[in-house]
Amino acid sequence: MNNKKKKNMLPALAMAGPVSVWMILFVTIPMLYIIYISFMSRGVFGDVVYKFSTESYKTILDPTYFKVILKSLKAAGITTILCLLLGYPLAYIIAHKPKDTAAKLITLIMIPFWTNSLMRLNSWLLLFQTSGPINNFLVGTGIVKEPITFIYTDGLVLIGLITNMLPFAVLPLYSTIEKLDKSLIEASADLGASAATTFMRVTLPITFPGIFSAIILVFIPSLGIYTVTDMLGGGKILYIGNIIKNQFGSIRNWPLGAALSVMLIVITMLLIFIYTRFAKIEDMEVV
Amino acid sequence: MKKRLLATVLAGAMVLSMAACGNSNANKTESAAASETANASTEAGAESGETQAAAQDGNASSELNIYMWQQYISDDLIKNFETENNCKVNLSYMSDNADAINKLTAGGGDEYDLIMTCDAYMKSLIAGGYVEELNLDNIPNSSNINDTYWVSKGYCVPYLMNYIYVVYDSETCPVEIHSYNDLLQSGLKISTIDGARNLFPIALVALGYDPNSTNESEIAEAYEWLQKFNENVVAYGNAEQNLTNGTANVAVTYDGNASWAMKEKNTIKVADFTSDPIQLGIDLFVMPKGAKHVDLAEKFLNYICTAEVMAKNLEEFPYSCPNDAAVAAASDDYKNDPARDFSYKENVFFQEDVGDALTIYNDYYQKLKVGE
Repeated sequence: MNNKKKKNMLPALAMAGPVSVWMILFVTIPMLYIIYISFMSRGVFGDVVYKFSTESYKTILDPTYFKVILKSLKAAGITTILCLLLGYPLAYIIAHKPKDTAAKLITLIMIPFWTNSLMRLNSWLLLFQTSGPINNFLVGTGIVKEPITFIYTDGLVLIGLITNMLPFAVLPLYSTIEKLDKSLIEASADLGASAATTFMRVTLPITFPGIFSAIILVFIPSLGIYTVTDMLGGGKILYIGNIIKNQFGSIRNWPLGAALSVMLIVITMLLIFIYTRFAKIEDMEVV
Repeated sequence: MKKRLLATVLAGAMVLSMAACGNSNANKTESAAASETANASTEAGAESGETQAAAQDGNASSELNIYMWQQYISDDLIKNFETENNCKVNLSYMSDNADAINKLTAGGGDEYDLIMTCDAYMKSLIAGGYVEELNLDNIPNSSNINDTYWVSKGYCVPYLMNYIYVVYDSETCPVEIHSYNDLLQSGLKISTIDGARNLFPIALVALGYDPNSTNESEIAEAYEWLQKFNENVVAYGNAEQNLTNGTANVAVTYDGNASWAMKEKNTIKVADFTSDPIQLGIDLFVMPKGAKHVDLAEKFLNYICTAEVMAKNLEEFPYSCPNDAAVAAASDDYKNDPARDFSYKENVFFQEDVGDALTIYNDYYQKLKVGE
């Protein structure tokens, strides 16, 4: 009996073992370490003092940080909404093209990603800077008198975020829309529903898992990404990612950085939890 | 099939975007790689018995491990030193001053023979016993160094230094700037250096306080001053680019960066300060406690203090230099650099160790950056 059980375990162990070891080593342990650090104190030199303290969590509730957290949530929210508004029609159009055209279009969406994202961000800066081509054109043609300050503004940061995140919205959306059973739409039309009603009552609910994957894939990285705000915001515009980065870098308050990271993890979990209220996790379309 | 293509493409994108994030820390990565090399070499050195003790027995070290800023020392200089002393120099690079402090406080002598840090940390490094006392008799050329710039003499050798001052574009800047308080005037677009211990002294001086104040109410006032200053700031960092491309018309920056900007655009001038002192930071080499190749480290320090060697180094890295003989021997280009042509060079203050008050500075700095 015992022997038989062992026999049955072996294939499962062989299959799941490496992945489990990997996950424990590179996900669970680092995460536990972050949680552990978040309950420690900071030393004067920015070292971690191994003494229990809830100071970091109290600090997060300070209005200063709370405001940044809200600001970051708002920016990530706007980015997500705009990515969905742009991404859904785009994915819809691509999904209704013949297969090889669709593959080409998807490749086109990915091409900018073959360039380092810092290069892309730098090119935004060069294009929009005070003596850059866009301002030169605007002033040259007399559309504006004085060059417009585009760079180091919230607007440019938002553009940077959207261009960086759009593919992560388009791909899962495309994947669900493409799988959509066309006969359902035909049936809806046959039964007298208008195009708008069909979209609202049939297409949208069926593609919901794709929409939710898009939300998660866009919202979470936009919350944490700090390179975009660092470069396009000129170090003046700070989101939660920048604050976390600063805690581990120049300000050297690791416990606070860790506590903020834990908070981001909690927000992520919360999002996934909300999703499970509406749909099954297996349906979530990542690719 | 299509799904597989899609999966590949998406996975590729994710990997690339991660690579992109990693690249923002290119220096760090390189330095990590470099420090691995250094580690390996140190171990090798230890194994072959090339320790300080061995050196004292008459066997000269054949390897030197240095931790310093990247892009801060001429490759030729290193190569010549290696040839002259038949040794190998392993350079590893830091990305933040705090990295060097971490190395020093965590027993840096095991890995490195020389570590670069700055004047502000010397007091506590000596107090904590993290650095070796130097035998200046073995570094005779160090007499070239001007004592004014030599803090904690006997424990360090100054290398290069940076003034933090104000430069402006005479074409686009609407006001004349003679003091830090002038930076609060409207119409200015300031690109400034970042960091609590660089920004707060400016405000403290403007308010007439000690730039290294540890008094919380003074620091709080400085914070209010900086809030007003912040309204004029267009960007933190990248001063030279922002000045040359017209995004900023004033910059609070290092003289080395100003030098670069002035070469690009000749309307950029150093502000003519009347009485406010400016910050001077000195980058220096210290020997971490327990350094293993003391003989070679001393030879290296002596070598970089040689007038001709440093003068050559200044051609490549035209920063301010505390080595008077080297400055005298430097090229005309260096000596006539407009970035260093200002009359108040002596009116400087140094960043000092503020002890526990660092936490107060950091908290206010955080508030300032968050825009509270």
